[in-house]
Amino acid sequence: MSGVIHWARDVTDTWDDIRSELTRAFEVSRAAAKAEDPIVYVVRQDDLLGRRGPGNAMVATGLLSAARTAALEGVGKGWTANVVAYDEDADLASVEAWAMRLADSEGVTGELVRIGPGHLGKALP
Amino acid sequence: MNGSIVVTGAARGIGRAIAEKLASTGPFTVIGVDLAPELALSEQITPVQVDLTSEDGPATVREAVERMGLPLIGLVNNAGITRDARLVNMTDGDFRSVLDVNLGAAYRLSAELAALMQDGSAMVNIASRAYLGNFGQYNYSMSKGGVVGMTRALALSLAPHIRVNAIAPGLISSEMSMGIPEEIRDKMVDAIPLDRMGTPDEVANTVWWLLTPLSSYITGEVIVVGGGRSLS
Repeated sequence: MSGVIHWARDVTDTWDDIRSELTRAFEVSRAAAKAEDPIVYVVRQDDLLGRRGPGNAMVATGLLSAARTAALEGVGKGWTANVVAYDEDADLASVEAWAMRLADSEGVTGELVRIGPGHLGKALP
Repeated sequence: MNGSIVVTGAARGIGRAIAEKLASTGPFTVIGVDLAPELALSEQITPVQVDLTSEDGPATVREAVERMGLPLIGLVNNAGITRDARLVNMTDGDFRSVLDVNLGAAYRLSAELAALMQDGSAMVNIASRAYLGNFGQYNYSMSKGGVVGMTRALALSLAPHIRVNAIAPGLISSEMSMGIPEEIRDKMVDAIPLDRMGTPDEVANTVWWLLTPLSSYITGEVIVVGGGRSLS
């Protein structure tokens, strides 16, 4: 597999910390895009719904939106961008496997794959 | 509910329409952030000029609210900029400046003012339909997606005292959209089921509704004001 699987780190609720984490994602993504490699962001499902505070929420939802935009830019160039979101008690090996599957897949782009049932009955991100 | 409402990015476009709508439908007194005194058309709008990305920017707004002496009943985080480029060509500076204004300033101001906001007050964050993805706007899209996450997190943490919602405008007739080449803008309009750009007033009307008790059971939501573009 080539490409970037980028796991969002936990951040505090300070703007410097949030910006630093989003900047880290930008830098690896720009390098991947230049190489026309796939990008997969891995975030926590709870953060897409804002349940662990604003810092982690801004990172997770920021990455989801960035992936959707990156996906649009990869169309035609042949590279993809996707997101995996996992529940707190998810098997991380399974999360990693899904991330690798998305990085290897052709034609699947701009998708959010959620591991675990935590999103059921909740807001669509 | 008489009191003050802070609107950022009030000098032009959507922010100006929001400030004028609120000032004309009172009993609100609007604190227009980024607004030069000569642009404050109504006595109900108090201008405050400040760089919200500066270290003391949010505190300057808080001091203006405290000086006014009215209860703070609303905050509209509207200030935003674009610095478009494809991801492969995006500079570090353009990435950071968009993030700092669109997300950092909104978050830092919200954190600064939340403690002043009255029970039953409301916050409205202006995101963008670009949070669903938009070619050439990795930085802008990320920042507006972040605004959505901030909205959800603050809706949870500030409930039941303060409601927090977001609006995601689509293509709105404003200075920002007029910067798009006409040919591209026409194609964008062709993809809108309502067959036209939206107006700043249409966004302002939705903001007004979210700030008033008419929307008293709504929090943590994103309302797209986009003429149906998300479906077409």
